[in-house]
Amino acid sequence: MTAGDAHARARWARRGDIALRVVAAVPLAYATASLWAMAIARLLPGDRAEASVTAALIALVLCAFAAMWAFAARSGWRAIWTLVAAAGIAAMTTWVSIDATGRL
Amino acid sequence: MSKGFRQSQAFLHTWSGLLLGWILFLVFVAGTIAFWREGLNRWMRPEIARVEQPMRVLAGSQAFLASKAPDAKSWIIPVATERSTGAQVFWVPQPKPGEERGRRGRRGRSDTQALIGADGQVAQPRETRGGEFFYRFHFDLHYMPVIWARWLVGFATMMMLVAIVSGIVTHKKIFKDFFTLRRAKGQRSWLDGHNATAALALPFHLMITYTGLVTLMALLMPWAVVANYTDERTVFATLFPTASVVERTGRPAPLIDLRLIAAHAERRLGAPASFIEVSDPGDAAARVSVSQSASSMLSSRTPRLTYDGVTGRLVWQSPPPGAAAETAGAMIGLHAGRFAGNGGRWLYFLCGIAGTLMIASGLVLWTVKRRERLTDPARPHFGFRFVERLNVAVIGGFPLGIACFFWANRLLPATLRGRADWEIHALFIAWAAAALTAFVVRPARVWPSLFAATGWLLVALPAYDIVATDHGMFTSLAIGDLMIGGIGATIVVFGIGFILLARRVARYQPNPKRVRKAAAAATSATMLEVAE
Repeated sequence: MTAGDAHARARWARRGDIALRVVAAVPLAYATASLWAMAIARLLPGDRAEASVTAALIALVLCAFAAMWAFAARSGWRAIWTLVAAAGIAAMTTWVSIDATGRL
Repeated sequence: MSKGFRQSQAFLHTWSGLLLGWILFLVFVAGTIAFWREGLNRWMRPEIARVEQPMRVLAGSQAFLASKAPDAKSWIIPVATERSTGAQVFWVPQPKPGEERGRRGRRGRSDTQALIGADGQVAQPRETRGGEFFYRFHFDLHYMPVIWARWLVGFATMMMLVAIVSGIVTHKKIFKDFFTLRRAKGQRSWLDGHNATAALALPFHLMITYTGLVTLMALLMPWAVVANYTDERTVFATLFPTASVVERTGRPAPLIDLRLIAAHAERRLGAPASFIEVSDPGDAAARVSVSQSASSMLSSRTPRLTYDGVTGRLVWQSPPPGAAAETAGAMIGLHAGRFAGNGGRWLYFLCGIAGTLMIASGLVLWTVKRRERLTDPARPHFGFRFVERLNVAVIGGFPLGIACFFWANRLLPATLRGRADWEIHALFIAWAAAALTAFVVRPARVWPSLFAATGWLLVALPAYDIVATDHGMFTSLAIGDLMIGGIGATIVVFGIGFILLARRVARYQPNPKRVRKAAAAATSATMLEVAE
């Protein structure tokens, strides 16, 4: 194997890694933030409209941080599975909560 | 903070900034101009007299609507102020049987609206979108469905927030950057300029970006509502309560003088009114709702009062909003700056300019930084040439389009059909021509020509007003109309700025020594280019 091949391989590996991070930073970050918006809206006590507005205000910030995390994580795959896990926790919370008390 | 973290954020800052930077540039330019939208509404309709007695406009509006649309479903009457062109009233006809009550869809129709001028009569100035164009373009863009545009702008805004926060992380010495500006040092100067405009107005950038997202929150983040409500309309009824709807009786009854209601509402609210909505005018069930002006408070969720339209009795007032709703309202208010007086508007305007310069310098910096590392500076690779030329097309071309928009406002004949649309077409035609030039001719030649053309067009505009019309800058200043005179003066200042910029850019030479040295280094490390 020549040095050129190794270079080319490293280049493609890097491109693949960046592609994964972009997937994590755009659709996945949005999905995670959205699911957390739902979970927070469920978990906050008090008036439902107020809880929903608060949750949406927070979720916008979460979305930005999730996108930053997608590039800060050690690898693209790691960015993806951590965000999927975070989204999963929120989805479970939301599902359990809606199942228990329903929506207005 | 580890080095790796900072590097990853620098990468994110560079690329999210670059890819969305062009849209953000447009959004910032339009938004910055839109802080003067009321002023521009008047400046672009110079034949309209200034409003001195708002109540006279209101009385005229009522008289006009009573004769034009006596049995409309509702009338909407903005309360004129000294800053407005008058009252752009519109009415919603009674729905035909089986027809949905679509108020929004009718808003743009010219056969159900009219402008009531300072004398209380219908005014027919030249057709123009005025400053409203910049306001709408700021989030609706143009020639595309508004929902797509808002998603696109919302996405760009989110990336802007990411770019700002990652940019803060990238800069270790943010306070030092604040005071640093090394001139005529090539890449260093561009970086300093980018940092200075960013750090100088950093609180503004963060605020305007996040609150911008909040204005689009119902579209971008509906999931928090979905989690709690099966029907979205329920939450809107809770957040934006209105007086209960009364059925039309069919018994005619004269509508009370709206000036009395406005005066009562303003006393009660302790602030000026901005909108009056009359439902079922002329019927015994008529209701008059008055909203408090957003100029009087931070939150955009202004209180409303509803009166019986026949007796003038107060029947309903909006309950105070909850803490979260008030917070969201305050953020939207903070974004739009409607609460700000002229001093505050100037602050918003200057910060908006800083944001625009930050984005423009960031976009240019991308090319400046890479030019020094090009393998062969005479023949840059495709990506570099594309970014370089798109920068010229957007940063150089859009201001030229705006200058042409203003000129079209002055020159298009008043009788032209679709005149208001043609003003806007003029903007995009000029911009398209500029963009085409940018992709055909060398950037080093197009940059100064576009800036110079924009500059001269802007400088000539108030000159044209002075020479060819009777509402020039000095006439306006002489009669104490600081807004109109001030807009003329600001346009001249911008024109001179663009001319000076054109001169400066024409003299600009990428430092040849650095380029050669960097090129030699780059041949041995082509990889670097891909790395960032």
